[in-house]
Parts: sequence; C-alpha cells; structure tokens
Amino acid sequence: MAKKRKQTEEVVKRDLLKEVGEGIKKYFTDFGTAVNKGDWGTRASLIVMGAGFIARKQFAKGILITLVQIMYFIVFAVYSVPYLTKFGTLGTVQMEQTFDPVTMQQTTNNYDNSFLILIHSMISLFLLVVFVMYYIHNMKAAYKVEKDAWAGRHVNNILEDIADMVGKKFYISLLTLPTIGIVLMNILPILVLVAIAFTNYDQNHMPPASLFTWVGFDNFKALISSGGMTITFGYAFRKVLGWTLVWAVLATFTNFIGGIVLAVLINSKGVKLKKMWRSLFVIAIAVPQFVTLILVRNFFRDDGIVNTLCANAGITDFFKSIGLLGANMNFIPFLTSKGWAKVMIVLINIWVGIPYQMLIATGVLMNAPQDQLESARIDGASHTQIFWKITVPYILVVQGPALITDFVRNINNFNVIYLLTQDVYTTTDQMLANSNAKEVDLLVTWLFRLTNEYYNYKMASVIGIIVFIICVLFTLVSYSKLMAGGREEDYQI
Amino acid sequence: MKKRAIALAMSAIMMTATMAACTSQETPPAAGAPTEAAPENNTGAEPTEAEVVEVAKADDSAVGNLIAATTDTVKLVVWASEEDQELTQDLINKFEAQYPEVKFDIQLGACSESTAKDNVLSDPTAAADVFAFADDQINDLVNAGALQEVAAAYTYDVSKENVAGSVAAATVNGKVYAYPMTADNGYFLYYNKSVFSEDDIKSLDKMVEVAGAADTQIGFELANAWYLFGFFSAQGTDLYARLAADGVTNECNWNEGVGVDIANAILGYVDTGVFVKAADDASAVSNMKDGKYAAIVNGTWSAAAISEALGDDYGAAKLPTFTAGDKEYQMSSFAGYKLIGVNPHSAYVGWSMLLAEYLTNEESQVARFEARGLGPANIKAASSETVKADPAIAAIAAQAEYATPQRIGGNFWDPAKSLGEILGNGNPDGTDVQTLLDNAVEGINAPVSAN
Amino acid sequence: MMDEKNTNTDELKEISELFPDTDKETEENNAQSAFAPAGAAPIKTAEPTNRKMTVAREAEHSLGMKKKGLIGSICKNTLLALLAAFWLIPILWLVVTAFSANPGISYTRFFPEKWTLANFSRVLFHPDSVLQYGRWFLNTLIIAIFSCAISTAFILMVSYAFSCMRFPGRQGMIRFSLILGMFPGVLSMIAVYFIMKSIGLTNSHIGMIVVYSAGSGLGYLIVKGFMDTIPVSMREAARIEGANELQIFFRVMMPLCKPIIVYQIISAFLAPWSDFVFARLMLNSGISKDWTVAIGLYNMLDKTLIHQNFAAFCAGGLIISIPISVLFIIMQKYYVEGVTSGSTKG
Repeated sequence: MAKKRKQTEEVVKRDLLKEVGEGIKKYFTDFGTAVNKGDWGTRASLIVMGAGFIARKQFAKGILITLVQIMYFIVFAVYSVPYLTKFGTLGTVQMEQTFDPVTMQQTTNNYDNSFLILIHSMISLFLLVVFVMYYIHNMKAAYKVEKDAWAGRHVNNILEDIADMVGKKFYISLLTLPTIGIVLMNILPILVLVAIAFTNYDQNHMPPASLFTWVGFDNFKALISSGGMTITFGYAFRKVLGWTLVWAVLATFTNFIGGIVLAVLINSKGVKLKKMWRSLFVIAIAVPQFVTLILVRNFFRDDGIVNTLCANAGITDFFKSIGLLGANMNFIPFLTSKGWAKVMIVLINIWVGIPYQMLIATGVLMNAPQDQLESARIDGASHTQIFWKITVPYILVVQGPALITDFVRNINNFNVIYLLTQDVYTTTDQMLANSNAKEVDLLVTWLFRLTNEYYNYKMASVIGIIVFIICVLFTLVSYSKLMAGGREEDYQI
Repeated sequence: MKKRAIALAMSAIMMTATMAACTSQETPPAAGAPTEAAPENNTGAEPTEAEVVEVAKADDSAVGNLIAATTDTVKLVVWASEEDQELTQDLINKFEAQYPEVKFDIQLGACSESTAKDNVLSDPTAAADVFAFADDQINDLVNAGALQEVAAAYTYDVSKENVAGSVAAATVNGKVYAYPMTADNGYFLYYNKSVFSEDDIKSLDKMVEVAGAADTQIGFELANAWYLFGFFSAQGTDLYARLAADGVTNECNWNEGVGVDIANAILGYVDTGVFVKAADDASAVSNMKDGKYAAIVNGTWSAAAISEALGDDYGAAKLPTFTAGDKEYQMSSFAGYKLIGVNPHSAYVGWSMLLAEYLTNEESQVARFEARGLGPANIKAASSETVKADPAIAAIAAQAEYATPQRIGGNFWDPAKSLGEILGNGNPDGTDVQTLLDNAVEGINAPVSAN
Repeated sequence: MMDEKNTNTDELKEISELFPDTDKETEENNAQSAFAPAGAAPIKTAEPTNRKMTVAREAEHSLGMKKKGLIGSICKNTLLALLAAFWLIPILWLVVTAFSANPGISYTRFFPEKWTLANFSRVLFHPDSVLQYGRWFLNTLIIAIFSCAISTAFILMVSYAFSCMRFPGRQGMIRFSLILGMFPGVLSMIAVYFIMKSIGLTNSHIGMIVVYSAGSGLGYLIVKGFMDTIPVSMREAARIEGANELQIFFRVMMPLCKPIIVYQIISAFLAPWSDFVFARLMLNSGISKDWTVAIGLYNMLDKTLIHQNFAAFCAGGLIISIPISVLFIIMQKYYVEGVTSGSTKG
C-alpha cells in the first residue's frame, strides 16, 4: 500500500510540473498555428471575432460572438479606460469641499478616490485577461471549424451547441454562475488586497479625503527589517506567528483526538442511551458560536461566576498553595494572564469543537472497512491489535485531508480568539503592546485589529499575504504527502 | 463668505496638539455624563488654551435660502448612543416640527460615542450625516475628512454659549469642527458613604486603611491607560504624556523624575489587596453595586446605576491624593467632552448643520441633563442650580481643577495599558520598575508609520 | 426509511467492535442487545462467519466478564455524565440567566436570585429603537432562506461538475479552488464591501444574501466527496437510456444525494445566524431595524450596555438556539452520513 502511494505521489508531482509547462506552451502554439495556417476567414477573426464562423455560414454564432466583442469594446472604452489611465498613480486630484454659509450648500470637486481606482482597475484588468483568453480561444475555435469544414466533418450549429450545454458541455452551464460569484467574492478582493500590500494605504492616506499611491516592496521590507510602523513590529510578527502555529497544531489535534475518543466512548459497549448522550453534546453546539463564546468569556471573567465559585470552594487557595497562582492573586486569571489564557482558549476550543468532531468520527467509524476487520478477526487478532493495525490507519487515511483543512481553518480561526480575548486580555509584554499585538493574537486577529482600529491596511495586507503563503505551502506539501491523487476514481468503481 | 469662521490667536499647542487618537476600547464608555458644572474654573483645567476660536454668526437669510432651495425630502441619518435614543428621537421630532414647510425623513441609528470613529472611518461616505462622538477622536476624524467645518452658526452662537474648554476640544488647527454636546467625559471618585467619611476620601492612604478595616475593596481600572494617566500625571509630578509638536507622536516622560516612585506607590497600594485592579467599567460598577468595592474611579455615565444601587450611601467626590516616595500628590484626570459632528459627505450638509445645532442648543442640553444626568457644555445650562446640585457633576467640577485636556496620540494607549496591567498584577515577574517605565515610554513615544 | 434505521444501528454496533474496550472487557452482547434500540438485532446474512466467531468467543468469556462489564459500563456512563455536565454547565448558565430578574451579569450567583420571564417579553414584544429582536429575527430568516437556497444550488452544481464530469482544466480548477479557499476572509472583507458598495448592495438584505451565497461554490468539497462515492454505473445506465446530463443531474443524482443535500441546506441556513463581522460591515447604517440577530445581539453587549442587557442577551441567544437545536437534532443523522463520506474523501 505504502509503496504504491509513494509511487503515485511522485508521478503526480512530475505530472503537475510537466502538465502546466506543456499546457502553457500548447496554448500559445495552437494560437500561432491558427493564425499562420488559417484561411482568410479564420484570419479575419483576428479583427472581427465572428468572421471565422460567418465564413463557415454559421451566421447566428458569428454575429453573437461579434456582438460580445463589440460589447466588450464599449465596456472597455466607457468603464475601463478612465480607471486604467489613473492606475499608475492611483489618482492625483485631492478632494476639496467648499461650503457656502449663505446658501448652506456644499460643493465638492471632481476628486480621485484611490481605493475605487484600484478596485475598478483590478476589475478592468480582470475583464481584459478574460477577454484576451476568450479571443485566443475564439481563434482556435475558428481554425478548428475551418479544418472540420474542410475535412467534411460535422460542424455544430448554434442549436446543437445549445443542446450541448445540457449534454457534453453541461459543466459550462453548471460552473458559470458559481464562478462569477467566486470571482466577485473571492478572486477580485484577493487581487485588490495583494495590490494594497504595495501601496501606502494607511491612516494617513485614507480615501476619499486623501490619496494613496504605490510604494513597491517597502511594506515587506518594513516587516522584515523590524522598521515597520513601530520598532517592535518584526518582533511582534515573529511572536504572533509562533503562537498561531502552536495554536493551529494544538487546536487541530486536540479536537481530532478528542472527537474520536468521545465517539468511541459513546459507542462502546455498556453505554446506554447512546443517542441521548450524543444529543446532549450536540446541544452545546446548537447555540450559535458567537453567543456561547461571549457567554463563556463572561463566565470566566476575573470577577466572574467561576472565580467566585472557585474562591468559595477553596480552589483558588489550593492553586496558590501549589504555586499555580501568585501569592497576591485573589482570583484565577482564566483569560487575562498569558499562560492561563492560552490553556483556556485551547480548552474552550475543545469545548466548542469536539461535538462536531464526535459526529464526524462516529460516521467515519461506521464506514470502516468491514472486510479487513473480519479477516483480521478470523486470523485471531486481538482487539488491541485490530485497533492499532486497522482502525487507526484507516482513520488517518480518511481523515487526513480533513485534518489539513482543519489546520488551515484554525490558522484563520478568527471567531474563537477574537470573541474570547477582545476587550478582555491585556498584554504584559511591552514590546508586543508597542505594536498593538497580544500574546494570544493569531495573525488574523492581529490584522483585523490593525485594519479595524488602526486602519493600517497596507501592513494588514502584507500579513494577510504571508498567512496565505504559509497556508498554501503547508497544504501543498501535506496533500502531496497524504493524498495519492485521483482518489475519487478509486471510489467510483 | 466674509463671515466665515475666523481663527483668533491660537496657542501653538492648540494648533498642533489636537491629534488625539483613541482606540475604541480605550475610550471611556461613552455613555456620557456631566463635567464642569462651574465653567468659571474651567480655565484651571486648560491652562494652555488662552483663547478660543469664534464661529461667525451667519446671515439671517441663510436658513430661508436653504428652505427655499429644498424641494425634495431631506433624508438624514443620525447616530446617537444606545442610551440616548429616546431623547434624541424626541429632539428630532421637535426639530422637524420647527420647519413645517420641509419634508424630512430622519432616521435614528445607534452608535456609541466611543466607537463612532471606527464606524465612521471604515467608510466616511456611508456614515451618518450627524453623529455624536467623544472629543479625543476629533483629529482622526478631521484628518480623514469626516467632519464638516462649523463655518457659521445659525441658530445660536456655538463658540460663545458653550464653555471655552468644550469649544477648544472641538477645534483643530484653528477651525471649529463640531458642536459641543456634553462636558462631562472625565472621571472622579464614587464612594460608599456607609464605609467612608468625607474626610477619609481625601487621601488614598486613609481610604485603603478604612476599606481594609471594613473588609471591602477599592476598584481602579489600572489596566486602562485613560485612568492610569491620573496617577502618573498627578499634580506636582512634572510628568506628562501628551501630543508632540508634530501632532502625531507623543511626548511622555513617565520614566523620569518621580515616575519610579509613583509606579512603586501603585505597586504598594496593590500589595495591600484592598486597592485592586478592576477589570473594566462594567465590573467596577457591578462590584460597587454588590458592595464588594466601597469606592471606584469612574465617570458620570455610571452615576444613575450607582446612585440607584447605593441610595443614601451614594457619594461622589474629586479624586483623592496619594503618597509616593514620601510626598503627597493630588491625582489628576483626563477632561473630555462629547461632541456632535456633521458628515461633509452628507447630501444635505446645510440641514445636517441645523440639526446638529438643534441637538446641542441650550434647551436640548438641559433636556439631556434632565433625562440622563449628562453635564451640559452650554454655559447657561451648566450654571443652573439643579445641575450644580447633582453630586456627580459637582464631583467632576471639583476634579476639573486637576484635570488635563485629553490631547494624546494613538500610540499612548496600548503601551500604557500594558504597563497598568503589569502594575495591577503586582509586577509578577519582578521586572525592574525603571525598565517597565522605559519600555512603556519607548512604546508611547514611538514614531508613527513613516511612509 | 425503516431500512436506513436498521443499517444505522447495526453499523453503530459494529463500530464498537472496532475498538478494544479500555478495561479489556470483551463482548457480552446479550445484555447489550436487550438495551440496544430497536432494529439492532437483525443478523446480516452477509457475515455469518463473523457472527459465529463472535458468538463463540462470547461464550468463552461471558461468565467471568459479565461482572467486569457491569463495572466498566458504570464507569463509562459516569464518565459520560461528567463530560456532558461539563459541556452543559455554560449552556445551563445561559438558560438560567435568561430567566434572571437581574438585567446585568451576576458575578456571585450561578442561579438568579429572582426568576422572571421579563427578558423574553422584552426581547420579543417590547422593541425599542435599539433592541428590535423581532425585526432582526425576520431579517435573518429571510437572508438565511435565500442564501441557503442559492448556495445549496451553487454547491450542488459545482460538485456535480467536478465529480461527475471530465473536462479540460478540471484538475486545475480543483487545485485552484483549494488554494483560493485559504485566503483569510477577514482581510478580503473590506474589498468585498467596496465592491458591493459600487453595485449599490450595501445596507441591503439582497447584498447580504449575495455575500453569504455568491462565493459558496468554493465549499463544494464535502458534497463532491459524497457524489464521488456514488457508482458511475448509475449514471451510465441513465445515459444509455438516452438521458442528457441535465436529466441525470436532476433525476439520478439529486435523489441519491438526499442526505448530503439536507446537510448542506441546514448548514447553509445556519451561517447567517452567527456571522457578525461581515454583517456589521455590510449593514453599517446603524439603523437597528436593518440588523440581523447576530449584529443585534453583539451590540447589546457593548461594554456600556452589559449591565442592562446581559440577561436579555441570554434570552435572545436562547430563542435562536431553539430552532437551531431542532434542526441540528434532525440533521444529526444526515450530518454523520453526509459529512463522513464527504469531508473525508475530498
């Protein structure tokens, strides 16, 4: 098994590189061939995109494609050009407003808004790339039609093409709308934010009142050289990154293992009313997470109910006597001192996360490979052996990819950290305080506060890009280790 | 145009010193309550501001022009704090009634004064047309172009009818940018009369002694830079934390002179177990109500809750003195105001200005005091007997003498908060106190992003 | 329906056989099957050997082990009770505080001094200009219904395309979408806001629906995983009968995917109830009647308001939890069935 996986893994890697390289090469050579070898009709498509089809008497298609082309040209001239011309500077006209006290009317000049210029330029560039790709594709299609017509092969007319949209090419119909959505909600925002990392968009340069502009790699240099916005920014970045990784590992594995243990416990022999137990745990996650987290934060306040109970029960004094608490502490700093807070956050995360994991683990165990278990049993393997030799590897194989996504999700686990520590935790590391960070911050919560409270969009974007790179690298490496590639085929027999 | 606001001589500090930036979690709960009941001693609080900018009185025809020019429905959004909703809605209704010839559609939204800046700056063009905010946010708001200059006054004289300090607080670079609403955004001492006598509360040492004997505690939000300031910048220490001449960075010298003595004094008080670090406003007030704390340092926004809970035992006074290195110092405080601003991106700037004026005129300020006990910034409203008789307002007036206007840059809050947290925990790591102060000062005075 | 139930419990039983019991206890199935839910008993003809083996071994051990099994059973049930208590104490606090006559937080008492229903009546029947729970609930419900419908449709469409069809660029798109999903959403928020603003969809519930559902296509992994487990032969058969892909999508795959669709619908429905970060940015007019439940509840606990609102916050939190709990309990089975064949087989 293992050997086979290793082999496929290597194959996958080699394929991936080669595939991409060859794909790109072919993409352009095909276009070149079409231009060089096509006849007048195909070549006319270079200017009037529908020409190739019209030459093959496919008028409807040809006209449609030409209309698309004209529409794009209009959009480009009317929408894109005004923004793209300012893209290089991100605007030069500062906003000015004058108020006339006698008429009580305000007049505003025709100012530039750097942020809008950036967004709309990105949209324009994106449209441009899409159009160019479509343009190249169209050339190839025109050439293919030419060849097909010449060879006397059947050429689809527009009705047949439409029929294909629910047949062979159904995937196009399926993917179009979701893709537009993803472009709007994910791709464009990411492009915009990557761009912001190269600008000086911060509190001193906030549109609409002021302009911002390109600064190259300055922000990245600032992060590395510790010069940043404060002297300790580099220090804070390393600290926060460290805790982010520790947290992600702890949160992922505690929940994973805890979920399995709980599932096994509930499903083990001798436990009555399994359904009831499961439901009890599920109730804890039925309350929306932000409600429970705020609730728990107040539950564990320094002067909160848990502390009162602990003090009354003598637990506080007990902790003092064993040195877990300083002598002058009259409460347990559950969420307010570094060590306690980190432990509590992980524990509370277990509290919110395990019920989910328990449900998943229950299901995974249900689907365990019965044939292997049986044969092991027939061979007389003991329960312990079966557990370690079959069940554990099985769980790891099925749950592996989920573990990776969980890890990434935990790196970006905004809710748990923000809701538990915001307004509650005060750092005692003065160097962190000087950079508006806290020991318990994840990179995402830190960057959220940098944008939300300090409007430092440029540094937040830099941090965001770094988080993104970490996640992507981690995932690529671990997926290639864990996944044998093309697994879906195995299941679809 | 000739009647535009003219900046009279402004002290150099005023010109530059208004870069106050306050993060949302640092600002005191902006519920707002009264400050100077006695505007006369206001000068004591703001020694640097000798003169105040004047807002020109506009032509009487202006409002008429505006009414004549308004043909469509005037759609406005007003943001007031959650506690102020009912009152503000009343005032809006009255405002609408004043102009029967104009159609209004004024919507009231909720936004706490302490977080107004965050909500406005995330997108000034989408923010409310008229909004209330705490004065420490004014520089950020002006820099972001989110405040309309008060170029002229229409219904009352904004600069003369309000206490000088409040107008100064609304002024940036010689221009007035907001309408003073309350003059009470500072802090003072609340105490339980059944525990302390009026003599006890004069000195913190005595208070600690008495409270210790009565088995209660004194709550102070040490891990809040806003309150911590009261210790370090106490009268006679020569320690300061203020905005530097560039209007962005801070100058702070808490690590010099008697700074170490003061830090040690705080540690000493904390060590008694009687003087404790309160987690936040909510818990301070709640513990005061429950009787766990016999005294807390807080602002007028908590007055109603505390007086209701303590009844006859309710007391309020200026902050006590404390002892550091054998010397006794009077605790200082920040003096703050709540203001109403107009969004320059509003489609109806003229109407927004009229509404902002209405919400801050004498009548409205009196109504605000009556409804919520908030200390008026309006001179006449503040000098009425009922206002002066209010214990919380009297206390903040008494404290005004020792208060400093809040002019401080954004880098102050986190480092000072961290310092307070360490001191409040009794310096558990045993770090050298001088080092603690040096670190904090380094952060407070850190340069603000250069590029 | 009946069939499903049977397999379910049967399988559960088999899971337990997968694991060694911590206290080395072996099978004692007689006692257990008496307690096991109905349907646990049927013996699958497919595994006679297994049965025999088990029975044989049981016979060997049962006498000596029975006592031990009882102790183990007690230990486990106690342990579970302890754990469940630990999990439920904060929830219990939520419930009792919702009935507390003290509107703020109590720092000293777990159970309220005085009980009242006032918090519920305040939340439900006495809206003021800030606290408009009824409106929030309605807003959230509308947003949830529409965004749930759209995002479920999107996810099914993407999943079908990726799972059941082969086309050029498919692998590339799958990889690309995996990577795309890793960008921290908190960061792209501000850009999303301005994009939505430029098409005039901020401060509008349509905008919220778009925000919650437009990008949902990326969340196809679980559903695709489920579809991957459906044998190709089912689709082939339909194809031979002359069905096109559209017909296969609706007539063959949809019925087979019922559990995962239910799972998907419920989880998409739940999302708008607990998002406050995005919602707060998008609905930033400050006008309370436009808010969703999450923003409203979050704002109720603003530092200055916590004295007055904590109990009402708990009441509000409890009210939304009730329908969600019901959904969750209904969903449990589907969750288990759907998620496991999906999430695990990306």
